[in-house]
Amino acid sequence: MRLFDPHVHMSSRTTADYEAMAAAGIAVVVEPAFWLGQPRTHAGSFADYFASLVGWEPFRASQFDVRHFCALALNPREANDDRIAADVVALLPRYLAKDGVVAVGEVGYDEQTPAEERWFAEQLELARRFDLPVLVHTPHRDKKRGTERSLALVREIGLPPQRVLIDHNTEETLPLVLRAGCWAGHSIYPNSKMDEPRMAALVQQYGGERVLINSAADWGISDPLKVATTVAEMRARGIAEEVIATVAWDNPVAFFSQSGRLDLEAGDATGNAFAGNTVRRG
Amino acid sequence: MSDPAAALAAILRQRRPEAFATWLADASLAAGASFDRTAFELAFAGAGRRFGTDTIGGGITLTGASGRAWSIAGWGLDDAARALLVLGAVAVIPEAAQPGFVDDLYRAGASRERRALLRALALLPDPQRFLATALDACRTSTLPVFEAIACENPYPAECFPKPRFNQMALKAVFTGIAVDRILLLATRRSGELARMAADYAAERRAAGRPVPADLALLGAP
Repeated sequence: MRLFDPHVHMSSRTTADYEAMAAAGIAVVVEPAFWLGQPRTHAGSFADYFASLVGWEPFRASQFDVRHFCALALNPREANDDRIAADVVALLPRYLAKDGVVAVGEVGYDEQTPAEERWFAEQLELARRFDLPVLVHTPHRDKKRGTERSLALVREIGLPPQRVLIDHNTEETLPLVLRAGCWAGHSIYPNSKMDEPRMAALVQQYGGERVLINSAADWGISDPLKVATTVAEMRARGIAEEVIATVAWDNPVAFFSQSGRLDLEAGDATGNAFAGNTVRRG
Repeated sequence: MSDPAAALAAILRQRRPEAFATWLADASLAAGASFDRTAFELAFAGAGRRFGTDTIGGGITLTGASGRAWSIAGWGLDDAARALLVLGAVAVIPEAAQPGFVDDLYRAGASRERRALLRALALLPDPQRFLATALDACRTSTLPVFEAIACENPYPAECFPKPRFNQMALKAVFTGIAVDRILLLATRRSGELARMAADYAAERRAAGRPVPADLALLGAP
C-alpha cells in the first residue's frame, strides 16, 4: 500500500530517514513550514527556509523516490515575535505562488495570544487569495479550547470547512473537528499527543472519513515511520483495508489536491525528472 | 531566427496558443504596459502550471548574445515561457538594476524557476554581468539546478573565468554527468584542467573505484 505522510518536517531528518520511509511505503510527504526548534531572528531566514522547501528538500526526497510537497506560513510560535512577523507574512505571497506549495500552513494558535490570532486570520485570508487549502496547528496546552477557537475563526473568516485541515487532534477534539466539516489530522508520536493503539481505536469509533494520520517528525523526539506503524496497528486490529487506504492515502490526496498543485506524476515535486536525465556513478 | 524572444514566443504560440494569448500581458510585459514586479513574479512562478513541462524537442536552436546558436531541445515549455519573461523584463528595467533583478529571481526561485533562469543567461544582453548568479548556481547540490548551468548551456564556456570553469567541469564528472553535455568544452581545455582530471582518475584508482570512461575528454587536446 502506498502511504502519504501529510505532516513531516523533513528538513530536520537525514537521508537514512528518507530511505527507511521509502522502504516502509511512504511515497508522498507534505512538509509544513514551522520553526526550526528555536526562534529565528531575521525575516530573511524565512526567505531561505521557504526557498529550501520549494527546491533543495524536494530534490533530496526525489533521490529516494519520495515526492515532497510543502505548506508555507508564519508558524504560530514565531507569530509572537513582532520584530519579524509582519515581514515574514509580507514574504508569503511571492512564495505561495510557487510549484510544490499545496497549502498554507502551519498556522493556528500556540499560546493563544492576540498576535497569534492576528496572523492566523491574515493567513487564512492569504489562503483564500491564493486558492490554497490550510493546515492548522492546534496547541499542546489548553488544546480543546484552542481547537474550538480555531474552528470559530475559520467560520468567522468564511473559509469553506472542506478547505481546512485541523491537526494534532485527540479523543476530545476529533468529534468537534468532524462536526465542523473540517479534515482532522493526528500526529502519532513516541511519547506525547497520540499513539498507534489510541489512533486505531479512533478510526474504529469514527471511521475513516476526513481522518488523516501523520508523524509530524521534526527535531524533537519523533519517528518518521509513524504513518506506517499506525497502518500496521490498524491492520492488526482488523480494520478494513479500504478504510486504512482512505486514512493513509485517499484523504491526504483529496485534501491537498484542492490546491491544484499536487502533481503525483514522475519526477520530483517541482517537476524535475531527476533519475531520467542523469547517469549516476558510484 | 536570431531574435531569441521572437523565437521563444513563436514556440509557445504554436504549442500552447491559449496559455500564450495573454502571457505577456499577465506579466505586465505587453507593449506599452508599465512593468509591475508583483504581476511579473506571479506569472514567472506559475509558468509550469500554465504551459506544462513538456520538452520543446528536436531541431530548435536559439542564438545567444555571443552570436552562437545552440539547441534548446531539452528545455521544457515552462523554461521557454520563463526565458521569454526574463528577456522581456530585462528590456524594460534600468540596465544597472538588471543583475540584481536576475539574482533576486534566482534566490527566491523554486527549482524549475532557477533552471529556467540559468538556461536563459546566455540570451541576455552583455551576459557577463550575470556571472555572480551563474557561479552561485555551480555551488548548488540540487543536481537539476547544477545541470541547468553546466549542461547544454554555452554560458560557462563563454563567460566563466578559467578556475571556475575547471571546477564546474570536474564537479560535472564528480556528480555523474556525461562530459559531452558541457557545451564548447573544446574551447576551454587547458593544462590545468587536464591535470585536475588526471588527479581525479588517480584518486579513483587509489580508492579502488572505477574511473568514468569519459573523464579523459576533459584533458584531451
